[in-house]
Amino acid sequence: MKTSGSWTVHAGLAGRSGAGALALRLALLIAAVPAAGAAQDARLAARLDPATRTAVEATIDTARSRGLPVEPLAAKALEGASKRAEGARIVAAVRALAGELATARDALGPSATPAEIVSGASALRAGVSAATLRRLRATRPAGPVTTHLAMLVDLIGRGVPAESASVATLVLAGSTIGDADLMAVRRLVERDIALGTPPAAATSVRVSAAIQDALRATTNVPGVSRAPKRP
Amino acid sequence: MPEPGEGGGERDALADVIRTLREPPPIGAEFDARVMNAVRRDRPPGVWARAWEWLGEPRTVAFSPAAGLAMAAGLLLVVAATLRLIDQPTGGGAVAGSAETQDVVNGAARPVAMPAPASAQRIRFVLYARDAGRVALVGDFNGWDASATPLRRAATAGVWTVEVPLVPGRYTYAFLVDGTRWVADPAAPRAVGDDFGTPSSAIQVPATSPGGSSL
Repeated sequence: MKTSGSWTVHAGLAGRSGAGALALRLALLIAAVPAAGAAQDARLAARLDPATRTAVEATIDTARSRGLPVEPLAAKALEGASKRAEGARIVAAVRALAGELATARDALGPSATPAEIVSGASALRAGVSAATLRRLRATRPAGPVTTHLAMLVDLIGRGVPAESASVATLVLAGSTIGDADLMAVRRLVERDIALGTPPAAATSVRVSAAIQDALRATTNVPGVSRAPKRP
Repeated sequence: MPEPGEGGGERDALADVIRTLREPPPIGAEFDARVMNAVRRDRPPGVWARAWEWLGEPRTVAFSPAAGLAMAAGLLLVVAATLRLIDQPTGGGAVAGSAETQDVVNGAARPVAMPAPASAQRIRFVLYARDAGRVALVGDFNGWDASATPLRRAATAGVWTVEVPLVPGRYTYAFLVDGTRWVADPAAPRAVGDDFGTPSSAIQVPATSPGGSSL
């Protein structure tokens, strides 16, 4: 209603039925909460042309329905958009990554975490076999393998052959070496490579040294003596 | 004068009445419960209950057409600001830099607007690009937004740097020089699979990093 230059609004919910008032109140409360789930769609909509976005979102929806992590897929599409790649190339890259995520999840088992799946997909892309991922999981059935996979991928990125890097990673996974020591090994390998050591040789030397250090540490525990060497 | 026997009888009857009146009335076992229920029923409502009542209480609001237009404009601004926040590629801000030179500096100031999670670590990214006019850090952590994380010139000529808080995880990134040239971080491992024909780097931020890490 309008009264002398002012609009008068009669507001209130008390006059409505109990269920109706409750529904309206809940609707008001829900409307006040930002739709956080729309973030991904908003990013893609802002950066991709409609056809590319539709294809990418279809791939993401399929991956989501299979329980795969989908943020890497959106990131891949955004990377393509930022690098001004053609739509078809973006879609192909996203689909390829979705396939690698699925393969990694199958190889690492249903208990694999999203981080492990993403790292596993990177390893597959780097040339590591799915069989290696399965052996890694079998070696560490209960412990996380994210750091091992990251180290594996980074070694390959430094020029270590995939086969050599895979063997080194499996050996380290079977030891008692923790994540911090794994990072130290990787840094030493990188430094050796930077100083001119062939990547495969640097990996072999540093991994062997790390294994020996770990064995020495476990046998130097007070009260535990090393078995005498045979003559 | 009353008879002695009659007066004694009246006194006895009066004493009985007084004794009866002085005896406490019988109280049932449910009396306490009834009293406490009444007390609870009469207690003033709490803050949330009053707020809920306030939401549903009918009231008359009067405002001028000018005020109505102003409120509508304000509502539009709020909606626009909300949509802008949703469009932000990352919630916690992001980072990049040379894996070899990265530092973890917990608690320092951040160049991003959104609060970083407690698990975030500050990672420093460094690039030497003497002839560059501007350098940006672009990667997974900022939604590959070339305008989100510009690097600043360091005191040393040609050195560009930026620090960004990153939560543990693996990230792919690259430097964008002068808005046109993509450069991988020479001090970090190369990201596998250059799907788009330009090089990128990878950084793994570990869950715990006592002295910084570049795995």
